[in-house]
Amino acid sequence: MNSEAIMSLIKDWRVALLLLLVAGSLVGIYLAPPSPEKGLEGNLQFGLDLQGGSWLQMEFQSVVVAYSPDGSAGDLVENLRTGLEAEVIQIDENHLEIRKNVPRADLEPIFATSDASIVTYQTGVSPFTADEVKRILNDKVNALGMQDARINLLTPTGSEYPQYVRIELAGVDMATAQEIIGTQGLFEIRVQTTGNETEHVLYGDQITSVGVPQRDPDGRWGVGFSFTDTGAEAFRNAAIESGAVDNPNAHHLVMILDNETVYSAPLDRDLAAQLRSGPVRSLSASTGIGDAGLDDAMALQIHLRAGALPVQVDIVGSGSVPAALGEQFKTTVALAGLFALFTVGVVVYYRYREPAIVLPMIATNFAEIIILLGIARFIVQLDLATIAGLIAVVGTGIDQLVIITDEVLHEGRVPSPNLYMKRYGRALGIIAVAAATVFIAMLPLALMDLSTLRGFAIITILGVLIGILVTRPAYGKIIMAILSK
Amino acid sequence: MEFARYDVNKYSPRQMVALPLVLLLLAGVLLGYATLATGLPLTPGIDFAGGTAVTVFTSDGRETIEAIFSGYPLLSVGEGIGDGKYLQFGPMDDTQHQALVALINEKYPDAKVDQIGETFGKTLQGQAFLALIFSFIGMAVVVFIAFRSLVPAGTIVLAAFADIAITAGIMQVVGIPLSLGTTAALLMLIGYSVDSNILLTTRLLKRKGKLDEKLAGAFRTGIIMTTTTLAAIAAMWVVSTAGQIQIISEIGSVLLIGLFVDMMNTWMLNAGILKGYILRGNKK
Repeated sequence: MNSEAIMSLIKDWRVALLLLLVAGSLVGIYLAPPSPEKGLEGNLQFGLDLQGGSWLQMEFQSVVVAYSPDGSAGDLVENLRTGLEAEVIQIDENHLEIRKNVPRADLEPIFATSDASIVTYQTGVSPFTADEVKRILNDKVNALGMQDARINLLTPTGSEYPQYVRIELAGVDMATAQEIIGTQGLFEIRVQTTGNETEHVLYGDQITSVGVPQRDPDGRWGVGFSFTDTGAEAFRNAAIESGAVDNPNAHHLVMILDNETVYSAPLDRDLAAQLRSGPVRSLSASTGIGDAGLDDAMALQIHLRAGALPVQVDIVGSGSVPAALGEQFKTTVALAGLFALFTVGVVVYYRYREPAIVLPMIATNFAEIIILLGIARFIVQLDLATIAGLIAVVGTGIDQLVIITDEVLHEGRVPSPNLYMKRYGRALGIIAVAAATVFIAMLPLALMDLSTLRGFAIITILGVLIGILVTRPAYGKIIMAILSK
Repeated sequence: MEFARYDVNKYSPRQMVALPLVLLLLAGVLLGYATLATGLPLTPGIDFAGGTAVTVFTSDGRETIEAIFSGYPLLSVGEGIGDGKYLQFGPMDDTQHQALVALINEKYPDAKVDQIGETFGKTLQGQAFLALIFSFIGMAVVVFIAFRSLVPAGTIVLAAFADIAITAGIMQVVGIPLSLGTTAALLMLIGYSVDSNILLTTRLLKRKGKLDEKLAGAFRTGIIMTTTTLAAIAAMWVVSTAGQIQIISEIGSVLLIGLFVDMMNTWMLNAGILKGYILRGNKK
């Protein structure tokens, strides 16, 4: 082929697009941002099983119940709270979140006594609670300076409510991971005595329950919480002895989590009056009005729990990969990929015995892998299953190039351009249908939250799309240019 | 190539479809029996039944390993090439699992450990089943839209179904458990199998020319297609099995079996039915 033919080939939009994408992908992997210290891996994102780390999957011990009639909640919520000894949260006018893993049969009698009935029953938590869990876990992980942590809420297909939270920590072993999830911060309430000095009142273990942010009639947000009897007694004594009851503004109550002040405010006048006459078990810390008040209330709520999750969680799955083993797997899968490409090359050569066909085929396939990796860098982490998908794509990729080659080379001769385009179109037709079926077959797996095979499915689908839109059309053009010389 | 010697035009449609249909029937009986006996058509792996899987590279032999973990529900010890070992444990309670993890950390600090709880396994099972159903229906819809004709489209769907059923039957016989990985491989098979079937159907129905020639041409292309895919998957399977990468090895084994089954279903079942369909159509 002379240089003129090459130029005209490159000017064809299909070939140009292919080259452009390959170049773009290489830039994405190696140059944006540059990462020379990582060598061949560049900016590729690896999953836990290839980089080492631990994962924990936890199930919320909670159910969400829709009930009728709507809006008659007061009694019902109270009955549930006392009957189940669980926290019950009103999500909206006909949905309740019951923060305990109670079977439906145990709930029905309680609903019946409150003249209500259960419409639907699902395990899980409200999206609101789920986000809170995610935020708390995030805070914990960030506080420990861990950058490479992924926290995902998972909703099983067919359910409306998140049921699991999965946390992945790169470079952390199992014991450490469980510690991070399990440990709570040290929460303390102190009272201002003279000047800026404060005195210990009680620790977080005296707090029995923490509510969700609520608005009082004046529009101020606040978080309710309750003390144990001892806690309430200690709180009362401190308030009286420090003088907070008499002069609230000079004696703020201060809440401290892990040595950091998270809340500081004077006693409310009504509360001060109540405290004079006796201990108060349930109080509310108000944070202000509007969105800012709500945000503060949410943060305070988390602090009051000292990093404990609002819902109990059970570990339902866990795993860890030591970094050294991950490194070894990485080498192995790279080897598997190269070996696959090589074997395919041998088979295709055996069939066509014509380097002018085989080399473009392998090159096209290789280009496809590079583009896939280039896109994958932004949307999926490469884990073991994803690599299997990548290799499977090599397999389908080549077999579709075979369809094109054979359609076009009907009876061993290269036809006239007109006939060529007709056959080429027909080959693309076959490939399009095949691609559509692979796409559809993999779609459920790609959309399902729970599957750890999302990466596998996504890479397969991407491979099919890039194949049908970019690499197959380009290959058709290239092979025609080469064969009609 | 051995397969190329099979003369796709030598047999009558009836002869062609006989073997695949008998195998499909056998697979149906096998899977049906397993479903009646255990509630599931295939033996579930750890992903679905719950349990703990450990990948470790050690020179310790099987007996040493069995002795170390004698207090735990060790189900099997798989050995790869080199020192790779794959241990499977049945479900256990939290305390026992913690103790096991501690023991593994002490004996084999470089092991990969994965644990799935029993009920969570059940949930995963349900999700995988849903995925399989949706995939299959989706595939069937695409095929019917593409061919808009009952017999050819129905045949492709039947061939895809036979692929999955017979592959599942062989998995059960060979002892490959149903896991997330093998479910994905079965789904992938839906995509793969349709490839060569569509080629066959398109060539036979949409091209002009003699039936025998078209069939032989499609066969040539189809076999080379499947062989290249087989080559890629075989390479992946060999390396991952040797390197003790369980999930890729499982996906690889199922795809390998499935691709062979698919060759049979495409060039005997699908080709046979289409041939009969075309021959009968011509007589009218």
